[in-house]
Amino acid sequence: MKISYNWLKDFVDLDVSAEDVAERLTVSGFEVEDVIYLNKHLHDVYVGKIKKIEKHPEADRLVVCKVDVGNRDVQIVTSATNVFEGAVVPVSLEGADLANGVQIKPSNFRGVKSDGMFCSGEELGIDDNYFEGASVNGILILPNDFVAGQKIEDALLLNDVVFDINVTPNRPDCNSIVGIAHEICAMFGKTFKDCDISYKTVGENVKDYVSVSVETANCPRYSAAYVKNIKLERSPLWLRSRLFAVGIKPINNMVDITNYILIEQGQPMHAFDYKYLDGYKIVVRQAGNNEEIAVLNGNTYKLDDSVMVIADAKKPVVVAGVIGGTNSCISDDTVDSVFECAVFDLKSVRLTAKKLGLRTDSSARYEKGVNINSPTLAMKRALHLVSELNCGQIVDGVIDVCSEELEKGEVLNISYSKVCKILGLEIPKEKVLQILNGLGIVSSLNGDVIKCVVPFIRDDIKNENDIAEEVIRIYGYDVYNNVEGTMFENSSITIGQFEPRLVLENYLKNILVNNGFYETLNYSLYTASACDKLLLDENDERRNFIRIANPLSEDLSTVRTVMAHALLLDISYNLSVGNKELRFFEAGRVYQPKSLPLTELPVENNRLSIAVCENGYDFFQLKGLIENLLVSTSLKYKIERSKQPYLHSGVSADIIAEDGKVIGWFGKVHKTVLKNYDINQDVFYAELDTDYLSQLQDKKYATKEISKYPVVERDIAVVVDEKITNGELMSAIKSACGKIFFDVNLFDVYRHSSLGENKKSMAYKILFMSEEKTLTSEEINQVMNKVLKGLDFRYRAKLRQM
Amino acid sequence: MKEKLKQIEQNVLSEIQIVEDLKKLDEIRVKYLGKTGELTQILRGMKDVPAEDRREVGSLANIVREQIEKAISEKLCDLENAKLLADMEKEKIDITEPSKGIKKGALHPLTRFNNKFMDICVEMGFTVIQGPEVETDYYNFEALNVPKNHPARDMQDTFFITDNILLRSQTSNMQVRAMEKMKPPFKIVCPGRVYRNDSDSSHSPIFNQFEALVIDENIGLKDLMLMIKEILRRLFGEDVKMRVRPSYFPFTEPSIEIDATCQMCQGKGCSLCKGSGFSEVFGAGVVNPKVLEMSGIDSKKYSGFAFGPGIDRSVMVTNKIPNIKYLFRNDLRFLKQMR
Repeated sequence: MKISYNWLKDFVDLDVSAEDVAERLTVSGFEVEDVIYLNKHLHDVYVGKIKKIEKHPEADRLVVCKVDVGNRDVQIVTSATNVFEGAVVPVSLEGADLANGVQIKPSNFRGVKSDGMFCSGEELGIDDNYFEGASVNGILILPNDFVAGQKIEDALLLNDVVFDINVTPNRPDCNSIVGIAHEICAMFGKTFKDCDISYKTVGENVKDYVSVSVETANCPRYSAAYVKNIKLERSPLWLRSRLFAVGIKPINNMVDITNYILIEQGQPMHAFDYKYLDGYKIVVRQAGNNEEIAVLNGNTYKLDDSVMVIADAKKPVVVAGVIGGTNSCISDDTVDSVFECAVFDLKSVRLTAKKLGLRTDSSARYEKGVNINSPTLAMKRALHLVSELNCGQIVDGVIDVCSEELEKGEVLNISYSKVCKILGLEIPKEKVLQILNGLGIVSSLNGDVIKCVVPFIRDDIKNENDIAEEVIRIYGYDVYNNVEGTMFENSSITIGQFEPRLVLENYLKNILVNNGFYETLNYSLYTASACDKLLLDENDERRNFIRIANPLSEDLSTVRTVMAHALLLDISYNLSVGNKELRFFEAGRVYQPKSLPLTELPVENNRLSIAVCENGYDFFQLKGLIENLLVSTSLKYKIERSKQPYLHSGVSADIIAEDGKVIGWFGKVHKTVLKNYDINQDVFYAELDTDYLSQLQDKKYATKEISKYPVVERDIAVVVDEKITNGELMSAIKSACGKIFFDVNLFDVYRHSSLGENKKSMAYKILFMSEEKTLTSEEINQVMNKVLKGLDFRYRAKLRQM
Repeated sequence: MKEKLKQIEQNVLSEIQIVEDLKKLDEIRVKYLGKTGELTQILRGMKDVPAEDRREVGSLANIVREQIEKAISEKLCDLENAKLLADMEKEKIDITEPSKGIKKGALHPLTRFNNKFMDICVEMGFTVIQGPEVETDYYNFEALNVPKNHPARDMQDTFFITDNILLRSQTSNMQVRAMEKMKPPFKIVCPGRVYRNDSDSSHSPIFNQFEALVIDENIGLKDLMLMIKEILRRLFGEDVKMRVRPSYFPFTEPSIEIDATCQMCQGKGCSLCKGSGFSEVFGAGVVNPKVLEMSGIDSKKYSGFAFGPGIDRSVMVTNKIPNIKYLFRNDLRFLKQMR
């Protein structure tokens, strides 16, 4: 919201600088984002009167002017052709720094000295909309009644400062000059000066000219007044300068008045050309489903019954609260006019503005909420301006259709001690009262109770918390800078703890970091085509993903159901920029809807995903890493060939918990998938369900006594079919060994044509131990025979002949 | 005889002195102490020594033998040490060659900041919890005093999935979930991802926040201020300064924003803090009693405060990260700098 410093002065006598006002506004909750000085480029520019023009002795295209700038005459050499003796013009002198970047210093034109320069409108930063003649190609010719020697910023009423204020949504009342003026009164202990709302009428009755009916619940109040015999012209400079300061283009007196009220009172208004109102009727209603309206921005919109319109007997004439139609707006031939001053439901205006993609000053204001009481004063103020500008004859009476009771302002009984408790501070009672009264909240104290009469515009104030905020923001939060004491002095002790999953995640992350991995963070949104790239089956549950209704882009349109996409993209990106030896992990979530379209929240599952792209890395290194990650959890699991479509079917495994749930997988990434991600090296990928793992109980340890008897080793190598796995052989060995089994390790795998086709030799070191005695060779030999027989029987494994 | 022994002793000692390798030393040992060695011969010839001299000569011979043995073993020790030193000299390596084994990786800077922050909170008695990112309108907005079409919704551009389900735009949803689930008194902090339909050079559509909430009897703004001072001190050091500005959040009243000494310029003023020396770190406030009541907490008995920082900016500033895009780009050249 742009607020003019000069405009504020209409309502509060200010004796502090604009900087001080800005600073104070910010610390009181109205953040001033920018302070704009309208006169920034107008210093050292004065009104001058050309007394005499002579030809330049040496140059045909130049003239030499003697100019009265008040206390003295100066000499200006110019090539401008529209100057004449007696003309009143802006003169920039030494030191001036004009809007177009020109810096003025005395100069010499072929031997003739020039003290400065005449200025065009452009050089002063204004155009015809602001000041007649400012857009001409040449020097701005000022009216004759401008006094030579006056500063141009004063003469053109550009001696203003504008505050760009961020008004928070709880203070719709402060989207206006008067709202901010009230605040400033409280901050500086000033008294608010009421607006002049007096006006003269010509008798008659508004009801004889126009009728209003409201046929929708979205318009709690609609008031209308009638002004006839309008003299449509430029508004006076003082009014134009106000609008100009806050960034509104002056148009003509009637339209300018409506905009003036919007800014000053925060009440949007509209002015109709009476003769175009069919039936001289105003009907506030929802639009018909096929109605159309051409509006002031040049577009035509198709309407439907969600859009509220102001209509006459036949057609819509305004999109209510948003924009006026071209069919009834004020134009050069307007003679009589109806003023509208209404309250529309903020939700309705918001939806309409959104639907039409059209946000105007008016809709922006309505969306924030216009008070039901607001039209009363605003209409009077508008008619006062009509009267003051003498731009038409006001007919008696204002039509006011109001379906809600006007607010009178609430009386609250506030506990002083509760306010202090909320703040944790004792602010003296008299200070509290002073602040509240300054804000227009008429307050008095009786014991602990502060009786507050809240003005109707402050319908944000309901309870002690609201009052506490009003008090402290004006009192100043810097009181806390030096506050001493203990926190939670009068409260309980609570014991802090981490969510178990975070504890586990951090534990796993640290193992990974110590194994050379880098943590990545990826967006949890991606494109639906990720599922295709990862070769997910048509029936894969993960193809049921959540789509965002209003995505930023297709790339971020889908909530992920798969982790792998992100790390593969990371690998692909890193390879593309020449990074090598990539070990990445990510702790993130997948979001799996239970059904689509979404009617309940999806399951959010936390995962740890791991990817390696490194020369020489292999499946078993990854397997070792996974084992190390899991070994200190109490997870009991087995591995089976993985069913993940994006992994190499022969070089991957699923991790299956005791309850049969697949809680992770690891392996080499499928070649086609790598191609889909433009990766031309092997990638190994793993994923773990950290939610599942964090729900496991802590691992319990029960250690055994160390045996007194020695461990005996035997090596054995057997030749088996390729399809027989190490896992099968090891468990067969283990069961054949019986009680004296201690451990078994595969230490060599050998493949050679001499072994036979599709055969391999597997060499095991078997360890035996008894807890009761030292084992004899005889006993071990017997067991070894059993092992060999067992392997032969189950897997046709033959002892390898060396 | 005595002379002879003295002579042998003298000869042996001088021979040992000049010996320089183990082999020669052994030859000397054999020459004198071996089975046919000179000294051995003499000891064997003791029976020929007159009986009255035998005792004296015998004791002298033993002394000489001990002397020789001692000299030899000392020399042996010297020579072995010298050999060790020489060997080590030969095995000398270039210690500036690169190290071997797996090099440590690194946590993401956001995780690191998260961990530090959560540790501080847990020490102060907070329980760390997490919750859904796909959320209902109720938890993200309505229960936080932001009804449908409330102007405060304009403060956040939200990603919607259906009319009623969205990607949470703030971790404040966890305030409501905690209040529904937990009995006061409690302190919770919830780190997590939030989503806004907004992306440019200084905004990312996905970023990270915390939401901290304290509900108890007798909680006021002063508790909040003292706690935040302590947190800032631990995060940014003893010299950090704090500045408080009024603000507005629908779910807190009063609402404030807290600025701390800009960590980019240490308060000197830079482009990041627009020369003010301060940058915004937390939004905070006293929990609006309406919000307490909506979640079933008796606002007459209990009060509370909440604060929620966006942490990405703090991570950027404390690590001097030049571009917010680095946080999600996962470029190894960036990540390696975080080791």
